[in-house]
Amino acid sequence: MTEILFFIEVVVAGLLAGTMYSLVALGFVLIYKASATFNFAQGAMVFFAVLSFVGFMELGLPFIGAFFVTILLMGLVGFCTERLVLEPLLNESEDTVLMATIGLGFVLEGLAQAAWGVEVRRLDLGIGDFPIQWIIDSTGLFISALDLTAGVVAAGLILGLSLLFRYTKMGLGLRAVADDAGAASSIGIPLNNIMLMVWTAAGVVALVAGMMWGARAGVQFALVDLALKALPVLIIGGFSSIPGAIVAGLIIGASEKVLEVYIGPYFGGGIEGWAPYVLAIFFLLWRPEGLFGEKIIRRV
Amino acid sequence: MTSNSENILEIETIEVVYDGVIAALHDVSLNVPRGSVVALLGGNGAGKSTTLKSISTMLASERGKVVTGKIIYDGFEVKNQRPAEMVSMGLVQVLEGRRCFGHLTVEENIIAGAYSRKLSKAEIGDELEKIYSYFNRLKDLRKKQSGFTSGGEQQMIAVARAMMAKPKMLLLDEPSMGLAPQLVSEVFNIVKKLNQSEGVSILLAEQNTNIALRNADYGYIIETGHVMLHGKADSLLTNDKVKELYLGISKQGRKNFRDVLRQESEQHPDLHMQLGQTENTTSH
Repeated sequence: MTEILFFIEVVVAGLLAGTMYSLVALGFVLIYKASATFNFAQGAMVFFAVLSFVGFMELGLPFIGAFFVTILLMGLVGFCTERLVLEPLLNESEDTVLMATIGLGFVLEGLAQAAWGVEVRRLDLGIGDFPIQWIIDSTGLFISALDLTAGVVAAGLILGLSLLFRYTKMGLGLRAVADDAGAASSIGIPLNNIMLMVWTAAGVVALVAGMMWGARAGVQFALVDLALKALPVLIIGGFSSIPGAIVAGLIIGASEKVLEVYIGPYFGGGIEGWAPYVLAIFFLLWRPEGLFGEKIIRRV
Repeated sequence: MTSNSENILEIETIEVVYDGVIAALHDVSLNVPRGSVVALLGGNGAGKSTTLKSISTMLASERGKVVTGKIIYDGFEVKNQRPAEMVSMGLVQVLEGRRCFGHLTVEENIIAGAYSRKLSKAEIGDELEKIYSYFNRLKDLRKKQSGFTSGGEQQMIAVARAMMAKPKMLLLDEPSMGLAPQLVSEVFNIVKKLNQSEGVSILLAEQNTNIALRNADYGYIIETGHVMLHGKADSLLTNDKVKELYLGISKQGRKNFRDVLRQESEQHPDLHMQLGQTENTTSH
């Protein structure tokens, strides 16, 4: 019985951690949909957003205030990115834009550290990273409060964005741009507005993801690399699919914990770091477009 | 907003250059009278698409630039506008190759065409009904992903989508491309109907000279960036030169391109005909 309980615990903890991967992956998906580019700056955006958030808190802003000021700041980052980077590169190839996002990443990392300093900050969301008593009492499972919060917040954010894209005019515009930017522009969909919206949304997602990661691991430069954990998530879920990012995040989260606990000892432990990539390779062989990636439509 | 000029579009000797060096148009001038259908004819690479894109300003996204000359649309000079601004001024281009949003449903594709207009849900519904009255076929397909519809259906989606923007003028780029003859005439019938009932002016680029001229009021023939010939559509249709070069019909009856080439090679012994030679070489 305790065996099964333990297994469930591992899976649940993994799934909840997985929602964090989903969150980070979501940021990539948004931008991939609009510009067909892997945004290398996403990790830097996570770092930039959460470091600014902590910085504003240290300046004396209340939690909510700092949150909204940071969202405004991410909107500004989106605006500047659109005007200074994407607009001039509008007619260039996707590879050029890809390179530009690498550069943008460095700029954001530099700006964040120049403005707020380089030391590791603590971020206290008022939610402890320890098991919730009533869940232990009722089911015997040890579930971290932070994991649970992250899961709920991520789910809410993802649901909100999905609804936005499915049912609003802007969302229709984005999906049209994702399919064929040239055709979208020919019928009067303003590409620059769509880009601005997408980058701002990606900035908000980056902030929330950064807050969740930061609360656990500290607000530090390593967050930039942590964001690359989203890569196997994207490969499994498909670069252009929001549901894909969610499901793949959960798959990665759960499987890496299960593998770590049950198979890890045979490798001397620590397989959590690379197991997702091995999983991703198998997915590449089996389904290169990802679980939910948009299939290339071919009529026959 | 509207000018009193009887031409909705006037192009005065434009020269277009891609990438700063490659000249695509040299001296193209043309007029489109309000409410008319004008055909722009010519072979591959003649400059038909380039002409349309310089009007819709889609040229900029392909690093093309109008270096000399003037384009006047509806009384305004076209210069440095964005495609979205042109759409809100009532000028919409239907791009070559249809370019539907493959993962969107047929209806979503059409609704996307109304992006530039501020319409309520109910108004969009009314507009859709109006569009479906021209494109009956699309009504049954409304929930289908457009990527899985046929070529003819996709062409209709593209035109329907453009009509949702409530254009005063449509630029159609090769609507007949890759379609079966029956579908070509179906598409052209709809276009003609839109022109007559909605009063939308149409500039039509086509390689299919025959069907284009039969549906147009006036025609321009361009080759390598120059206007070679223009005139009323029916006089172009009966013109011998046009018939021989573009319709494959000469005074001696129907002719195909191979016959013309064979004739040429007989008259000029220094010219070789590739087609005839391959026939000979296969025999030994």
